[in-house]
Amino acid sequence: MLTAVIALSALALVSSLLLAMVARAFAVPSNPKVEEIEGALPGANCGGCGLPGCGELARRIADGKADIDSCPVGGERVAQMIALIMGKSYAGGLVRKVAFILCGGDDQVAAKRFYYNGVRDCTSAAILFGGDKACQYGCMGLGTCEGVCPFDAMHMLPTGLPEVEPVKCTACGKCVAACPKHIIKLVPVDKRLHILCSSHDRGAKVRKICAVGCIGCTKCVKEGPEGAIAMQNNLAVVNYDFDIPDTVAAVCPMNTIRAISLDGSGDNAGVKAAAGGGV
Amino acid sequence: MAGGKFFGGVHPEYNKDLAAARAIEAMPLAARLVVHFAQNLGAAPKPVVKKGDAVKKGQIIAEPQGFISVPIHAPTSGTVQSIDIFPHPVGADMQAAVIIPDGKDEWADGCNVERDASRFDAEAIKQIVRDAGLVGMGGAAFPTHVKLSPPKEKPIDLLIINGAECEPYLTSDHRLMLEKPAQILEGASYFAKVLGVNNVSVAIEKNKPDAIEAMRKAAEKLGIAVRGLDVVYPQGAERQLIFALVGRTVPAGALPMDVGVLVQNVGTSFAAYEAIRFARPLIERVVCVTGRGIVNPRNVLVRIGTTFGDVITYCGGQQPDAGKVIGGGPMMGVAQYSLEASVTKGTSGIVVLKQEEVAQFVGEACIRCGRCVRACPMRLNPSVLGIFAERLRFDDAGEHHVLDCIECGCCAYVCPSRRPMVHQFRRAKAEVRRKAAKAS
Amino acid sequence: MKTLILIIVSAVFVNNFVLSRFLGICPFLGVSKRIKTAGGMSAAVIFVMTMASAATWLFYSHVLVRFHLEYLQTVTFILVIAALVQVVETVLLKMSPTLYRALGIYLPLITTNCAVLGVAVLNIQKQYNLIQTTVFGFGAAVGFGFAMMIFSGIRERMELCDTPVPLKGTAIGLVTAGLLSLAFMGFTGLVKQ
Repeated sequence: MLTAVIALSALALVSSLLLAMVARAFAVPSNPKVEEIEGALPGANCGGCGLPGCGELARRIADGKADIDSCPVGGERVAQMIALIMGKSYAGGLVRKVAFILCGGDDQVAAKRFYYNGVRDCTSAAILFGGDKACQYGCMGLGTCEGVCPFDAMHMLPTGLPEVEPVKCTACGKCVAACPKHIIKLVPVDKRLHILCSSHDRGAKVRKICAVGCIGCTKCVKEGPEGAIAMQNNLAVVNYDFDIPDTVAAVCPMNTIRAISLDGSGDNAGVKAAAGGGV
Repeated sequence: MAGGKFFGGVHPEYNKDLAAARAIEAMPLAARLVVHFAQNLGAAPKPVVKKGDAVKKGQIIAEPQGFISVPIHAPTSGTVQSIDIFPHPVGADMQAAVIIPDGKDEWADGCNVERDASRFDAEAIKQIVRDAGLVGMGGAAFPTHVKLSPPKEKPIDLLIINGAECEPYLTSDHRLMLEKPAQILEGASYFAKVLGVNNVSVAIEKNKPDAIEAMRKAAEKLGIAVRGLDVVYPQGAERQLIFALVGRTVPAGALPMDVGVLVQNVGTSFAAYEAIRFARPLIERVVCVTGRGIVNPRNVLVRIGTTFGDVITYCGGQQPDAGKVIGGGPMMGVAQYSLEASVTKGTSGIVVLKQEEVAQFVGEACIRCGRCVRACPMRLNPSVLGIFAERLRFDDAGEHHVLDCIECGCCAYVCPSRRPMVHQFRRAKAEVRRKAAKAS
Repeated sequence: MKTLILIIVSAVFVNNFVLSRFLGICPFLGVSKRIKTAGGMSAAVIFVMTMASAATWLFYSHVLVRFHLEYLQTVTFILVIAALVQVVETVLLKMSPTLYRALGIYLPLITTNCAVLGVAVLNIQKQYNLIQTTVFGFGAAVGFGFAMMIFSGIRERMELCDTPVPLKGTAIGLVTAGLLSLAFMGFTGLVKQ
């Protein structure tokens, strides 16, 4: 009995000593905060912060090389947690953004130039004359954005345009990077007025190829608050820093401007006709 | 010279009998020419004309930008009506100048003058080749003067004149060899002078015995060998041609000059003859208009900038059941959505297919039959590459050498699931190159 | 010498630890998605199993037998193996952080792994001497690595296949492992037990 106890204790002691020696000899300096921060981060490794993974961001935040609110997916809640870990204060004010497709030209209203029988993917289709849509700026409707979304927030509607589910969207930015026409933007959830067009073609050409495209008539520029909407090369562009009333949508002769709620309140006043491109 | 059969390749139906017997005819000037600025691999030249300018035939309308660039010349005398975006037959909408001919077809000063070319040395020849806007006319449109300037560490010992014309339907090179063999060889001699090589060979596929005969007769006294090659697609692709002719393998990622060889198309050689002997810049080329969808298949000598619509009208127009217009050949050409696309320096053919000849298909799952692996002349695994591309695993595609793909189309041709592999690979290559550019 | 070769052949092919004895299935299935990680894991296991075989045998013959404490075999073996794996982990973290992160949870799993304990116990059962013990441990680990490399190669290829959704991932992996096991049964009779 005694020998057993002694033997086991001796073994335990020797092992501990050995481990202690090895731990010291092969010590790797590490910031304990890194693990804590990594625990606070969502762990999706989505790349929304611009870095390859949550581990890398945790390291950068711990070293002070990245901001506390760098994680767009975690948002305010995670930023507060990280602030606690780092012992810093966090002012907040991070406005939640979601992805939005600036195109309203679905299959019913936008013309096609040719019959496309190739790979069902937007980037691949763009190799052939920029895609089969007559509007070279418009959404091609083949679902590349749907494929890259890691949060199942983007779905292709049967009409040929994608639809974002604001509840699931984390603004990681993958769809923004994937769209070959660069017409997906991250917009603040609290803003309602959106211009569903990205075409820089002149009005006369737009009328021929799309029933809801921006023709550059500047009615919205004049109706909205000063500086809220600007004309950029035949296209009206919203400045999301401004609060624009829903009534501006009514002056658009092409129904390109829509008042759409992205924060789930479901109030879509001012929407003239059912269409895709948003919620 | 040892050679062999290169690995892979396919044997499509050639249908060359549709146009092979038609001698080249010069098409009368169209009422309007749409001259693209981007007609070469490398940097596009910069336009130097604007709306309203009068131009003479052979006048430079776009200046080269950098070394890997060549000028564009006005194909006839007339006025620049506008500069706008037009469909380019390679698959994009690009800037072009619309020139309305004045009917006089007057050459610019200094052009179209016969001279004694023997006094030109290598540098002079290269300069003429560049100023004449010569590019590879087999379709790649790589600036010829750049190809003729290999670095000193890579000596060339063999010049191959490529008359293989392995694309189905096309017969433009075939007719050129039959009708102008001496001129082609003279052009080749200028290339040989620039490179300082004595060893020149002409490679022609065996399905053109009359062309082989014609070229052999013309080459008799010149000491240039004319070799007949097995009929297989893509025999005319540089690497495969070099292997078949002399048994040398161009390593992946390397160029023919790395094994001491240079290849030039017969059309390019003819253009060199025109430019060096007669000071005529590259403003026209032989285009084979063929297919069962065209009323009168023929080989036409057209001015650069003639719209596909005008060329097709000259050839009797489309059949009522025409279904597809292809710029180039059916294997590597691009389907056109508009007949406003115009002939460029690299347009070797216009193939019009009947609706019933056009396959409407949806690519299905890979069944791992291996036919594509057996067909790929670059020894790649198109099956795995296609799956990687489909699943957006472009890094893996890059590791599996997707950049070595020559887009010949053999894999897609044999695939029983009709997977659009070449399209996938073009996308994969773009993604791999984009990532590499971002990293550097 | 002949015995040693027989021991290795037996451990690697005839009585493969994973495919015949069904020991060490957890890391086998867990780390075999990529050939590179499988290779790293195999190297770690070869090191641990060889050392563990020798260390446990030494401890058994010079301490446990001497003091008639053979019944403490299981407990003490686990202690020795645990300490060894911890050493490997610490060294690995310093030497190759990438491999450390890639192996992740499966590195400490070598500790509670029945394969390592199994080889230690088998050594005692078969009454091998020190050299035979070490060779057997080495052979067992090589067999483990061999099976893992084959399996990860298959799995990498299977990722490209259109597996039906219910079978995706570990499910088809287990089916494949079973087939691989069946294949290895072909080696029975190679060495007379």
